[in-house]
Amino acid sequence: MTKRVGIVSVAQGAGAESKDNFYDQAYRITKEVLEKVGITRDDLGTIVTASSDIFHGGISCANSYYWETTGAFLKNASRQDGESLFAFFYAVMRILSGQFDTALVMALCKGSENPPNDTCTLMFADPFYQRPVGLQETLAAALQMRLYLERYGITEEQCAEVAVKNLGNALGNPYAHRKGRYTVEEILGSERLADPLTALQVAPKSEGMVAVLLASEEKARALTDKPVWFKGYGSSLDHFYLGDRDLLKGPLRDAAARAYRMAGIADPQKEIDLAEITEPYAFQELLWCEDLGLCGEGEGGKLIASGRTRRNGDLPVNPSGGVLANNPYVSRGLQRLVEAVLQIRGEAGERQVPKEVKTALAHGTHGFAGQCHAVAIVGIG
Amino acid sequence: MGRPVAIIGVGQTKHGRRTEISYPDLVREAVVRVFEDTRLTPADIDGVVSGTMPSMMEGIALTHFYFADAMQAAGKPILKTETCGSTGISIAHTAYYWIASGMADLILAVGHEKMNEGNSQATMTTVVEPFYQRYFIAGAPGVFSMQSQMWAARYGIPEEKIRDAAAYISVAHHDDAFDNPYAHVKLRVTMDDVKNSRLITYPVRLLDVCPNSDGACAVIFASAEMARKLGRKAAWVKGVGYRGEEYFFGDSDKGVWQSAVQAAKQAYDQAGIRDPRKELDVAEVYNPFTFQEMLFYECFGFCGLGEAPDLVLKGVFARNGELPCDPSGGTLCTNPIGATGLIRTAEAALQVTGRAGDHQIPGAKLALCHAMGGVDQFNGVMILGAEP
Repeated sequence: MTKRVGIVSVAQGAGAESKDNFYDQAYRITKEVLEKVGITRDDLGTIVTASSDIFHGGISCANSYYWETTGAFLKNASRQDGESLFAFFYAVMRILSGQFDTALVMALCKGSENPPNDTCTLMFADPFYQRPVGLQETLAAALQMRLYLERYGITEEQCAEVAVKNLGNALGNPYAHRKGRYTVEEILGSERLADPLTALQVAPKSEGMVAVLLASEEKARALTDKPVWFKGYGSSLDHFYLGDRDLLKGPLRDAAARAYRMAGIADPQKEIDLAEITEPYAFQELLWCEDLGLCGEGEGGKLIASGRTRRNGDLPVNPSGGVLANNPYVSRGLQRLVEAVLQIRGEAGERQVPKEVKTALAHGTHGFAGQCHAVAIVGIG
Repeated sequence: MGRPVAIIGVGQTKHGRRTEISYPDLVREAVVRVFEDTRLTPADIDGVVSGTMPSMMEGIALTHFYFADAMQAAGKPILKTETCGSTGISIAHTAYYWIASGMADLILAVGHEKMNEGNSQATMTTVVEPFYQRYFIAGAPGVFSMQSQMWAARYGIPEEKIRDAAAYISVAHHDDAFDNPYAHVKLRVTMDDVKNSRLITYPVRLLDVCPNSDGACAVIFASAEMARKLGRKAAWVKGVGYRGEEYFFGDSDKGVWQSAVQAAKQAYDQAGIRDPRKELDVAEVYNPFTFQEMLFYECFGFCGLGEAPDLVLKGVFARNGELPCDPSGGTLCTNPIGATGLIRTAEAALQVTGRAGDHQIPGAKLALCHAMGGVDQFNGVMILGAEP
């Protein structure tokens, strides 16, 4: 990869349920991300959006519905399903092909118009064997958590610490949907949804209009003094049936290795300054940190106990509050990227970490027990 | 254009009513065939692009999960491209950009649909805006019938002529399908059969409409270096174009359909094509409706506006005509929607590599493939050539 792609502008909407309609929410974010660098729709090269029909208020072909709202009228645009970091990567590809010098990436999901998340994720299950027994994402995560606790001796308290940290971090994030000062006891004492998962360890259902504007190197330098560069990306998909997989040795290892290779990162613990991780279930932050090489195998419990991943730690993880605080299902990966960019640019407001952030990691996952993962590395210099 | 990209192999299922096979196995059938065709193995693949129609049509959401194994995609980088009816061509575009960007050398693209397990027309009705427009739409034929009438009225084409031309297209494609081993509907019909078939939505009759098909298609894209290293006869991507329009279909002119016009223009400009009817040797137009196929001929510059019916009746777009269109029988005879655009790409690749068998257009060197989707919204085009 000889050419560079820069992130020149980001925007996001609030996660709490809103009476604003989908079009108004999406249009405002589109307009904001373009106006921040003083360009209009006419200047825009291409658009890649992310959305899923199952998370789109009962309207099929989501991108038909919002096409012109994202500035795409009579433009060459496309759409990714399921994971918004897919859309980011596709937009990077489009710029690197040399055919476009700017690309708008948008993730669109209005949680308040969707059924409960797991009514939707039930539809991931195969219709013959697993759906009749009600397998959905939270149940799959509970199975994974039980295995995690047992194989490595991680404690439920350590998992709850993740929720304490992230919901606390969210107090500094004006876009966060759920936030608060909780104790480990309160987290563990909340309703048991699927043993051992309790309600405060499970992400909510949120609104999420998120936008990232990309540009070729030359164009990026013309549009902003503070471009953040695309450094690396990797994704991977696991087998479908839970019984065919080792739920603690998932495809995130492959996805991370690919992203690190592209970014030239040899030692992620030293070279990654900050990580925004998709943890719809609290324990997953620990497991994903292991898979990302941010700590050793089975050491996720020690990592959270060490305090290193707090906002003021030496390896801040989810200073935004993460997905436990804000969960617009499809948009959450791109939202992690937006938070990473804001931290690198020193524009994260109250949630800005005290250390210097040059290289940051954004992670997205979807599917049962993390069947699919995507990792993006961005940075300056 | 970025670095050169080639198609080095294709695999299709036998499309049709495949009640004897599960949906994952249908996908597997196409994927196994593309590996047989290329003599590659899944280990050689750098990434997988998949796509389909909305989850309501499948009864399964985010199908890349369910088909991870059938697509041989476990452990692979993955993208999931969906743009409604144009999904198939958008999958092809995604695979193209992945390689053109320099970040991969071999990409497997897979499109699939098992329409007989769902309700396609009910699903397509839910694509339309729920408060104002959905009441006027019954599945796909509603909106496309309106478009056809708008077009015919615009140019004052006599009703009988447009009816005859559409019937001519139906007869020709149903004949063509007999020469395509993968085609779904194979029927010998006459012009009178078409004109007297059951009315669906005026002026569209049963034999003017595509079937509900079960089917999948897999295509392997390669960088120039990889294509040469493998020594494969390749179809080269010469141009890609895509355009989308607004959601409310009353807001713009669908008679001169700008997304189709501009998508084709973008692809032609990249391929250096100035006179498509002369320069193209074959076109695989996404033609679920006979009337609409004529409108595409005009939007793609195959003829002037309002001229298509006359030229159709002269045989200009027939198998032995000046610019053969859909010699495979096209979408009219086979429509597993999420796969259909990619089938157009696969057929175009077979034509320019001389591998289309009984429906080969002799000496074809330059081909157009296309797909359409949304609420009369999206058009995507790809140009394939025999030379890099």
